[in-house]
Amino acid sequence: MTYWAINAVFLVLVATEAGAALLLAWSRRRASRASSPGRPLAERVRAAALATVVLLVMTAVFDNVMIGVGLVGYDEARISGVKIGIAPLEDFAYAVAALVLLPSVWSLLGGRRPPREPTRVHPRDRAGVEASTTAAVAPGATREEEAR
Amino acid sequence: MGVLYLVALGVALTGMALLDRRFALFFWRDGWRAAVTLLVGVVFFLVWDVVGIDVGIFFRGETSFMTGVQLAPELPLEEVFFLTLLCWLTMNLLSGARLALELLDERRSARSGGARAGSGGGAS
Repeated sequence: MTYWAINAVFLVLVATEAGAALLLAWSRRRASRASSPGRPLAERVRAAALATVVLLVMTAVFDNVMIGVGLVGYDEARISGVKIGIAPLEDFAYAVAALVLLPSVWSLLGGRRPPREPTRVHPRDRAGVEASTTAAVAPGATREEEAR
Repeated sequence: MGVLYLVALGVALTGMALLDRRFALFFWRDGWRAAVTLLVGVVFFLVWDVVGIDVGIFFRGETSFMTGVQLAPELPLEEVFFLTLLCWLTMNLLSGARLALELLDERRSARSGGARAGSGGGAS
């Protein structure tokens, strides 16, 4: 059995799980269309593309280092021989799988309570800012932040 | 008994935690959800590793950088930390990319004379 054959099995598992996550997200959105519009698709695709490029480049760099210093070895008969530097192309399947599997699992675990959004606001200032944004979103709230 | 690789992974994981906390990227978005996601990821990749090792595709290098502690034949202790790092990095990157693009857009609109830019950024 080759490295690609095993990757294929695990990548199919990842794709299946991602399909389930997409389906659930779609049905959730249909159920609550008006209340949560969500972020635009183009924005999500752009962020995912950027993260993908960065992770693949980092994988190329660090996989080469790890193989170079001898942390891991491969049976040359079971890999395709296509390499990025000295890293087998097959290794990149881990990074691709992580990029699909992890956000899908995160999405599947989503409940009624939305997570905090990533923010550039420093942790020490966060409590105040989050309180004010919640107030601004709440119906009938006065828009105090206009005064800033 | 080398601990160099383990220490390097520890340093990198500390970096992941610091970035996560600073920008609310993964655990600091929703701790319970992040913990389950990370656990699923690490277990999934460990199974992938074990299958690969079982079939004889990869094996642990004989190096002085690793402790030599094995969780299973050819599966070094360090692999768990490596996979944790891979998963945490992936989720931090996905969240961080959103922030980076947001910042870029704000800068772009500020430069082109946009009046309302730079909201919420301030503190660093």
